[in-house]
Amino acid sequence: MSGIWIYSEDSVIAKELLTAGLELKVSMSQSVGVITLAGEEQDAFIAAGADKVCILKGQNPWSESYADAVADFVSKERASVLLVGGTLRGKDLAAIAAATLRTGLVTDALTVQYVNNGIETTRLIYGGLAIQTEAISLPAFVTVPPRTYMEAPAMAGRQGEVFTVKVDNIASGISVSSVCPIIREGADISTASRVVGVGRGFGKREDLAMAEKLAQAIGAEIGCTRGIAEDSHWLPSERYIGISGQKVKAELYIAAGISGQVQHVAGVRDSKIIVAIDTNEKAPIFAAADYGIVGDLYEVLPLLAGAMGEK
Amino acid sequence: MPKILVCYKWVLDEQDIKINSGNLSLDSSRAKYKISDYDKNAIEEATLLMEAYEGNVDALTFGSDKVKQSLKDALSRGPGSVQWIGDAAFEQADAFVTANVLAAAIRKNGTYDLILCGEGSADSYSQQVAPRLATLLGIPVITFVQKLCMDGSRTIATRKLGDCTEVVEVEGPAVISVLPEINKPRIPSLKQVMAAAKKPSQEIKLAELELSAEDIIPKTVSISVKGYIMNRKNILFKEASQADNVAKLVASLAQEGLC
Amino acid sequence: MSEEEKFDAIIIGAGPAGAACAYVLAKEGKNVILIERGATAGEKNVTGGRLYTYAMELVESGLYKQAPMQRKVVREQIMMMSANSAITADYVNYDFGTDVPQSFTVLRTPFDEWFAAQAEEQGVMLACGILVEDLIERDGKVVGVRAGDDEIYANVVVAADGVNSFIAQKAGLRDDICPHAVAVGAKEIIELPSNVIEDRFNLTGDEGAARMLVGGTNGVLGGGFMYTNSNSISLGVVLNPEDLARQGKKIHEIFQDLKMHPAIYSLIKDGTTVEYGAHLVPEIGFSGMPKKLYRDGLLVVGDAAGMCMNTGTILRGIDLAIVSGVAAARAIIANKSAGDVGASYMQQLEQLQLLPTMRLFGKYHEVLSNPRMISTYPNMANEIMKMMFSVDGTLPKRIDKAMLGIVKRHVTFGQIVADGWKGFKATT
Ligand SMILES: Cc1cc2nc3c(=O)[nH]c(=O)nc-3n(C[C@H](O)[C@H](O)[C@H](O)COP(=O)(O)OP(=O)(O)OC[C@H]3O[C@@H](n4cnc5c(N)ncnc54)[C@H](O)[C@@H]3O)c2cc1C
Ligand SMILES: Cc1cc2nc3c(=O)[nH]c(=O)nc-3n(C[C@H](O)[C@H](O)[C@H](O)COP(=O)(O)OP(=O)(O)OC[C@H]3O[C@@H](n4cnc5c(N)ncnc54)[C@H](O)[C@@H]3O)c2cc1C
Ligand SMILES: Nc1ncnc2c1ncn2[C@@H]1O[C@H](COP(=O)(O)O)[C@@H](O)[C@H]1O
Repeated sequence: MSGIWIYSEDSVIAKELLTAGLELKVSMSQSVGVITLAGEEQDAFIAAGADKVCILKGQNPWSESYADAVADFVSKERASVLLVGGTLRGKDLAAIAAATLRTGLVTDALTVQYVNNGIETTRLIYGGLAIQTEAISLPAFVTVPPRTYMEAPAMAGRQGEVFTVKVDNIASGISVSSVCPIIREGADISTASRVVGVGRGFGKREDLAMAEKLAQAIGAEIGCTRGIAEDSHWLPSERYIGISGQKVKAELYIAAGISGQVQHVAGVRDSKIIVAIDTNEKAPIFAAADYGIVGDLYEVLPLLAGAMGEK
Repeated sequence: MPKILVCYKWVLDEQDIKINSGNLSLDSSRAKYKISDYDKNAIEEATLLMEAYEGNVDALTFGSDKVKQSLKDALSRGPGSVQWIGDAAFEQADAFVTANVLAAAIRKNGTYDLILCGEGSADSYSQQVAPRLATLLGIPVITFVQKLCMDGSRTIATRKLGDCTEVVEVEGPAVISVLPEINKPRIPSLKQVMAAAKKPSQEIKLAELELSAEDIIPKTVSISVKGYIMNRKNILFKEASQADNVAKLVASLAQEGLC
Repeated sequence: MSEEEKFDAIIIGAGPAGAACAYVLAKEGKNVILIERGATAGEKNVTGGRLYTYAMELVESGLYKQAPMQRKVVREQIMMMSANSAITADYVNYDFGTDVPQSFTVLRTPFDEWFAAQAEEQGVMLACGILVEDLIERDGKVVGVRAGDDEIYANVVVAADGVNSFIAQKAGLRDDICPHAVAVGAKEIIELPSNVIEDRFNLTGDEGAARMLVGGTNGVLGGGFMYTNSNSISLGVVLNPEDLARQGKKIHEIFQDLKMHPAIYSLIKDGTTVEYGAHLVPEIGFSGMPKKLYRDGLLVVGDAAGMCMNTGTILRGIDLAIVSGVAAARAIIANKSAGDVGASYMQQLEQLQLLPTMRLFGKYHEVLSNPRMISTYPNMANEIMKMMFSVDGTLPKRIDKAMLGIVKRHVTFGQIVADGWKGFKATT
């Protein structure tokens, strides 16, 4: 078994995974290759460290329909590791490929290492309450969330082998119609340096204005808990923070009306300072916060916005 | 009259799990079990489809010997019957083993028009079992579904993926994983709980299933599980006057160089 | 709901009273539904947890052997506390532990869950997570219950819904609880290794201790209790809410102080509190019970009927709840027509000695609601001990004189005689 392969339908993520792949290349002394649907990126991948680039060319644009082709390819290559970009589409494809080849798959790995002839990963379980270290027998499939690694920098004058594989992925049994992009509003909260998080403590959509005032006062982006985005639909889903949502690594995170269930807190734990405002002194958010105010956000937020505004 | 199967997992309620401050090991001795949160949405969706298209719904679960406790709760949420596999093998099972076991159990029962799963299980949240299951059964999978309807043997689903939504259609049987936003699970009523007590449940022994030895050897093995704690300052301002609290907070933030 | 679907009995509340009633009925082949608002039976139940075994024996002989009992109680203790000292009377009687042990300590959550499951095995339909909101009446007769949009019917409805019974109120048998009819209880379960518990309480194996605490409540009317479980201690207080209010104190503050009392602290030291709960307790005893325990088609059992008593040395409620549940079941089994069930239920309560016992201790709460009982006498006793055990090199007072001095400082003889007489009267 030889070869570390990387797949993502998103070329930026593929370059992030190259960083992880190149670390493994050192410890496993095996070559690193990229499987891509985006032929035009071939040189960029090689510049970023790929020894090989495999371009899958099929007629069906739906990336999930490449699962069999990816499985096929890695088994032919007798790959020892397949790193997949942990988008929803990526996880879907990885699980299908893993089932086809009867291999182990770890999704949402925080770290990937080569340890005594196997792959060792860490990931969160119980909604972020605990971190689990797992050993996967080779060949090992792993999905890694976007932005876990930096993009591998381009190096001048690298050589690599590029080949194209024709794929018949028409008959996936599924026909896709009307794809409508979700337009991102405002900046990306996962990179924002300050974030105000809103939860079910807000009674009505209009009340979010109070949070926005505070956000303006301190130059923050608005984030939220899953319910606010997915149940109430008050904010777009890319605004929700947590184990299954965005991870924020802010200088300052202010949680208002958020109970602080572990699944949410898992998304803010990398923030430097966490502030919580909640009426319930027993709310778990306070255990996860540096500073907390026990009180009604309807009273506290305007005061805070005022005070911070003056500064 | 679609024949629908819904798969649910009986998990420890993470809210009852304590982290031992010393070695960060987990203490679940006082933890209760629950139907995995998003599987309640899967059960609800299956039940709504059943009500809309006069189909019938079976439930299937693979768990430890404790999984029997889940049957009544599951049945009171709509399914007409439930099959359960309670085996120690569950404790080490990864998605590979789980999917193998569920697929074998499904083959034993014959075919379904739709097989519903949750988006991810509340404990491992690996989001693998649905696609694996479909692959093992040789039928298509549609993951992350926020809207679902059937038209004869066709199923039309709206998927929600990070950056877009897409409508997909599939002819014939498929595995579907649903997002929690797809519905609000019902709180079982007295009549539904009463009805559940009369519904059939069937145990399937692991041994009865057509599984090879490898099929139940996990591919991923847990080496360690440690509580993931954060050390925070935990300074609480709880004076009666919010003005005071805010002033104190702002002062502290100034100290942190944040304003 | 059609007639043939009609239940023989609907039982509201899966506490000890409800579970016992359901169990006995189902064993006789009756068609019974047991409705519990908690997600599981016992989920919502707080109790110090000592159960007298005779009650379980009434349900079914030997059944207690399978129950998740904690320890069989052989040590009965009374602790008279004052600020920084305490006298503990420790009565050990190993006969209490032989053949059918007299009483066990129990943890309510596992016990209630187990008991309800036993009833289910007898054929009871157990419906958890359902709140009964109302009774259905037809021409003055209770014929069923309402939960959400659902209505179900039965020959007899049994209200086993606990202290402050909402159902009994609906039926007009009990008016809203008045503060002096109930006490408020708070309790903690403090985990400790079983061998530590055995050392601290001088126990071996599955032996247990039950301790009543007199005093130690910052002068607020009430008392405390301490039970040894297998690997935890139940520590609690039961206080008079009016007196709490009068003295402007908070129950959890008193509870914290109690935990910090040197004589208590040394027993719970290094333990981890794994559960805290607060709950009401029917306090007044016999005179606090509703005048009428039934209506046509409705029986009231257990705490719902105020069947709880506190003699100062023992706190009984679980056993009375079970006995009344059994009484109700027997009455239902014995009578075809719902009309006769009520009267026969009352006869059962007499035969099973429940009402006679309640009457016997009828006036006890008056004794206990006497402030001298919870502060003056404990302090006095502690001071006498101090006097007798203190040696500081000075010339001691003559014991009899000193004794008199102390007593005089605390009470008049008139009071002693009066209190003594009351205490005596209360049981005769
Ligand atoms: C597998 C799984 C994955 C999940 N992933 C995520 C995730 O990624 N992100 C996420 O956020 N959740 C996630 N959840 C859901 C999570 O468990 C919680 O349900 C959710 O985070 C709770 O959101 P909330 O705090 O807004 O609501 P609540 O839990 O209802 O909290 C509301 C809070 O507001 C307070 N409050 C009410 N009124 C006021 C007021 N006037 N002033 C101040 N405070 C007030 C209340 O005291 C309470 O603490 C997940 C769940 C599961 C099972
Ligand atoms: C702190 C404390 C310590 C105690 N210590 C002892 C002791 O050591 N020994 C002893 O014998 N007794 C003790 N008692 C008293 C004892 O707990 C009660 O007497 C006993 O629990 C009464 O049982 P029950 O079944 O009548 O009511 P409960 O045990 O209160 O059960 C009532 C049940 O009905 C359910 N319910 C209520 N309303 C509804 C509704 N509308 N619909 C559906 N379900 C409903 C409740 O959820 C509950 O499960 C103590 C009590 C307290 C508070
Ligand atoms: N042990 C199990 N028994 C039945 N269904 C399961 C089991 N494990 C997972 N599932 C189903 O697969 C979905 C995804 O689980 P997971 O891949 O663990 O995130 C769950 O929401 C369930 O619908």
